[in-house]
Amino acid sequence: MKATAASTRIAEYSLAIDTSAGTTVAVLRMGTVLAELNYQEPMTHSERIGSAIEAVLQLSGIQAKQISTVVAGVGPGPFTGLRVGLAAAGYFAIGAAAELVGVCSLDSIALDFYTANPEHKALLVTTDARRKEVFWATYSGVVNGIPVRTQGPSVNKFEDITSLIDLSSFATTELGVRAGALGQIAFAQGLSREGASSDVNPIYLREPDAVPSKGKKVSG
Amino acid sequence: MEIVIQEATLLDLPEIMKLETASFANDAWSEETFRSELAAEHTFYILALQGKDLVGYAGLSKLEGSDQADIQTIAVREDKRGLGIGKTMMDALTLQAKVLWAKEIFLEVRADNAVAQKLYKLFGFKQIGTRKKYYQPDGVDAYIMKTDIKRNEHSEPVVLGIETSCDETGVGIVRGNKLLANIISSSMDKHAIFGGVVPEIAARAHLEALTPVLDEALEKANLTLDDIDAIAVTNGPGLAGALMVGVGAAKALSVATGKPIYAVNHLVGHVGADILDRGELHTPTIALLVSGGHTSLLLVRDLLNDVVLLGETIDDAAGEAFDKVSRVLGLSYPGGPEIDRAAKDANPSAIRFPRGLTLPKDMADHRYDFSFSGLKTAVARHVELAESKGEDISIGDVAASFREAVVDVLIKKAITACKDYEVPRLLLGGGVVANARLREVAKEQCEANGIELRIPPLSLCTDNGAMIAAIGAQLIMAGRAPSSLDFSAESTLPVTTVQS
Repeated sequence: MKATAASTRIAEYSLAIDTSAGTTVAVLRMGTVLAELNYQEPMTHSERIGSAIEAVLQLSGIQAKQISTVVAGVGPGPFTGLRVGLAAAGYFAIGAAAELVGVCSLDSIALDFYTANPEHKALLVTTDARRKEVFWATYSGVVNGIPVRTQGPSVNKFEDITSLIDLSSFATTELGVRAGALGQIAFAQGLSREGASSDVNPIYLREPDAVPSKGKKVSG
Repeated sequence: MEIVIQEATLLDLPEIMKLETASFANDAWSEETFRSELAAEHTFYILALQGKDLVGYAGLSKLEGSDQADIQTIAVREDKRGLGIGKTMMDALTLQAKVLWAKEIFLEVRADNAVAQKLYKLFGFKQIGTRKKYYQPDGVDAYIMKTDIKRNEHSEPVVLGIETSCDETGVGIVRGNKLLANIISSSMDKHAIFGGVVPEIAARAHLEALTPVLDEALEKANLTLDDIDAIAVTNGPGLAGALMVGVGAAKALSVATGKPIYAVNHLVGHVGADILDRGELHTPTIALLVSGGHTSLLLVRDLLNDVVLLGETIDDAAGEAFDKVSRVLGLSYPGGPEIDRAAKDANPSAIRFPRGLTLPKDMADHRYDFSFSGLKTAVARHVELAESKGEDISIGDVAASFREAVVDVLIKKAITACKDYEVPRLLLGGGVVANARLREVAKEQCEANGIELRIPPLSLCTDNGAMIAAIGAQLIMAGRAPSSLDFSAESTLPVTTVQS
């Protein structure tokens, strides 16, 4: 990810959206979650996204126009679903004249893990990448509300990660991506010197499956 | 005491019937007739109440998809006439007609009812005809009267349309039937080395193009999002992963701005493109939609209510066939323009390539369907055979003969549909319309058969957001409710589902 300019203002209300696994949305005020909705289904992002955003705004009693920051979970995640949330975050930000920032989806899992287990040092986060592979990243802890990523995000077969890191020294977790945590991280980043990242390009980690045409011969 | 106007319900039927029978001695509606009028979806009945007393009622009918409304009836209790109650109710009905985007209101009035005629004239109604002895048993003529609803151009809905069904990211803006902006970003170049559209590459490109294309469209139309009345988006048919990008974006934009959303059928959008070209769509029409993803023949009797798929390709789309044959001939992607170029000045009858699904048996079973897979293989065989014999082939002649076979079948079947259904109109849409020979043969054949040919400009024929916005505007002007936020992207959405 490219380094980007800091966001100078501290946003009062933010909307966080992530579709890297299921569909998760949250509204936050000054980094505190007012409402959050999590749908686990891995396939229904484009159906869910509109109503989910509408519902989470209603639950928090916030009007769309009051949102001044949209936080997008930029993955990694299965492409088709991941893009739905990024497309939605982008157009919501335009529609609400809000700032758009991106956070690595795996970071939200790390934040939630360290909040529950503050004594732990090293963490390995993995999510399903399909095709018998996982998306993964490692963390060393949380500083000023921001998880410190030490490796990744990457995509590998789980067995292959063992050749890259010493699994025995890492805690693992079953926690999933949560929009509320992404919003909290973005808020903490906004307070930091670097600011939140305005890079909302998806983290795909894989090239499209396509083989360049060899041309000619097609009969038979 | 003050007169209050409110919408009538079925519970008001007994009171209405009392006034109906008192007001229209010999030609009152039956209770059954009035019940179905009140219950119908396309009618709007109002009551005039003074306290709890019913002192008048009136009704308007406006069918979906029609821009004409009818005043069905109007009655004022005898002892309350001359107080302006009729005028108040007419105000309410004309306002409703306007809200439903009617352009004209019609009514019938007894020739001997001068008081009512005077009221109607006040609302701009003019007599346009007479129905002799329409009111029975009295044998009194009915005057047919009509008024035009005036609205300034700025009262027509401004709709933003989003299209991401294949490899073009389109955002268009229309005001009613008028095109304001049509911005398209194509990922065609990124697919070139693969010789065809790669869905994942197309979807990635959509996500990247969404924001710049929206910005550019608003700038071109010289509008801000505040000026937009509604959002329309393609939800199918098309590539699932590509559709989802536009659907996700459109839904979020709708929630963020509070503007209603309309989920629109891509193929019907292609038909709607003609509205933007000439300000209206003439129906019935046969529509031949030919692109890299579709080869479809539609019968359109009514854009919003009656679109039928007569036939489509059973294997490759015509555009795909161009791409594949282009590869066989060592030409580049996209194949259409390449083959057009190679075929120029070459002999289209040099090789007699097969015309798919045109044998008498096929014309019975697959009268309006297409097949290009066999043709593609025939071209490949022809080239391989020549190579194996060490013969030179004329790429120009092969290209011209192949193109002739495709165009021949497309136009022949479209003309057949026009004749079968006695439809004197053919509309072309889709990117393959760019093909010079297709346009040429369509023109010749339509002229020879007395069929009006419509070819919108290429920027409206290829996939674009403006045509989607145009359908959105038509839906709004027909009084259709917005789509619910839960609609899905449907890669095989049938053409009969104009709005999801």
